[in-house]
Amino acid sequence: MYDLSSVLDFDALREVRPGSNILVSGPAMSGKERLAYEILADGARNGDGAVVVSTSDQAATIVNDFRELVPELEESQLGVVDCRGEGSGDSGSVNGAYVHQVSSPGDLTGIGIGITKALEGLHNSGRDQGRLALVSLSTMLTYTDKKTVFKFCHVLSSRLDSAGYIGVFTIDSGAHDEQTLQVIKQAFDGLIEIRDAEGGGREGRVLGLAGEPTSWKEI
Amino acid sequence: MSDSDPPVVLIVEDEPDVAETYKLWLQEEYEVRMAQNGDEGLEMLDESVDVVLLDRMMPGLSGDEVLEQIREGDLSCRVAMVTAVEPDFDILEMGFDAYLSKPIRSAQLHETVENLLERSEYDSLLQEYYSLVEKQATLEATKSSAELAESDDYTALTEEIAGMKGELSDALGGIEDDDDFIATLRGLNEGDEN
Repeated sequence: MYDLSSVLDFDALREVRPGSNILVSGPAMSGKERLAYEILADGARNGDGAVVVSTSDQAATIVNDFRELVPELEESQLGVVDCRGEGSGDSGSVNGAYVHQVSSPGDLTGIGIGITKALEGLHNSGRDQGRLALVSLSTMLTYTDKKTVFKFCHVLSSRLDSAGYIGVFTIDSGAHDEQTLQVIKQAFDGLIEIRDAEGGGREGRVLGLAGEPTSWKEI
Repeated sequence: MSDSDPPVVLIVEDEPDVAETYKLWLQEEYEVRMAQNGDEGLEMLDESVDVVLLDRMMPGLSGDEVLEQIREGDLSCRVAMVTAVEPDFDILEMGFDAYLSKPIRSAQLHETVENLLERSEYDSLLQEYYSLVEKQATLEATKSSAELAESDDYTALTEEIAGMKGELSDALGGIEDDDDFIATLRGLNEGDEN
């Protein structure tokens, strides 16, 4: 079981089953990415493997930021799949992390190969559990349609399930119509919703992971 | 493919002895067609073919070229490339669904064909599942929760989706390993382009 409650204090996040995939939904600038990275960092501090699939930040930035979050990060504990499509197309080690470049956020096959190689590397270094973050589905939705993204999430979650990993995916709730959001949500076991609170600050709630949806509370 | 008809396997192989051996191994379970080269293979390819066993090194049209033409067409068949060398992941990106390294044993051939057929089943289940989910999402986006609670249609749909989810999990045996995972994603990319 994965305990995510030290990152976000909800009882529903105390015992997350391996193989679960969680969608983090919220408006722009609401800290979704930060939350996803913190969930990975929290695991890495306890020896979990970490895989980041990124459509916006470049791999070197992610590796360096991650090292700041987890100073004790070991060699081959982090894999990054860089899908911005601006990289050289090469794969290899960057500052002690495995990095795979993919031609575009719409190249699902390339993303799959990157994830496979990253998981393989982590597995070979003896890490039998870990967390994957995909940031963000919103970018993927601009490259391909919601049907394909839905299926991609479903197929990826089954792969993570067999690896015993958990997956955390972010989506910008303000960037898509209600129907698209509803469709994408159905591909996930659980949902962490974030919104801007009326008096400033942020509120979150958890749906789908354990029991009834939690009520909104400040995070 | 109806339930009563056996799945159709097309063997594209220029060495008659090799092709004949594959046929012997498969003919009890499948309807087997044989083509001696790439051109003949493309001619024999239609909607009824479920799996193609494609030799990579052939005189005339090579296996790679045949594969390219299959992918450009609108066919939903699965292709296993038969190669003399073990391909890397990068070669997997080329677009075949499985690969077999020569020489091939009977058990291996059976397993590959079976896996490819299972994956097709998974794809059509996923397709069906998606269309139900989309219906549900439309309802949820347009009706209030009170209206949804009162709707028998919505309840039935929700139950159907839950049942389907179970079926999909059972079919997931098909994507346990890395090759299956990547090949399934490749299938999604292609579906997207069509």
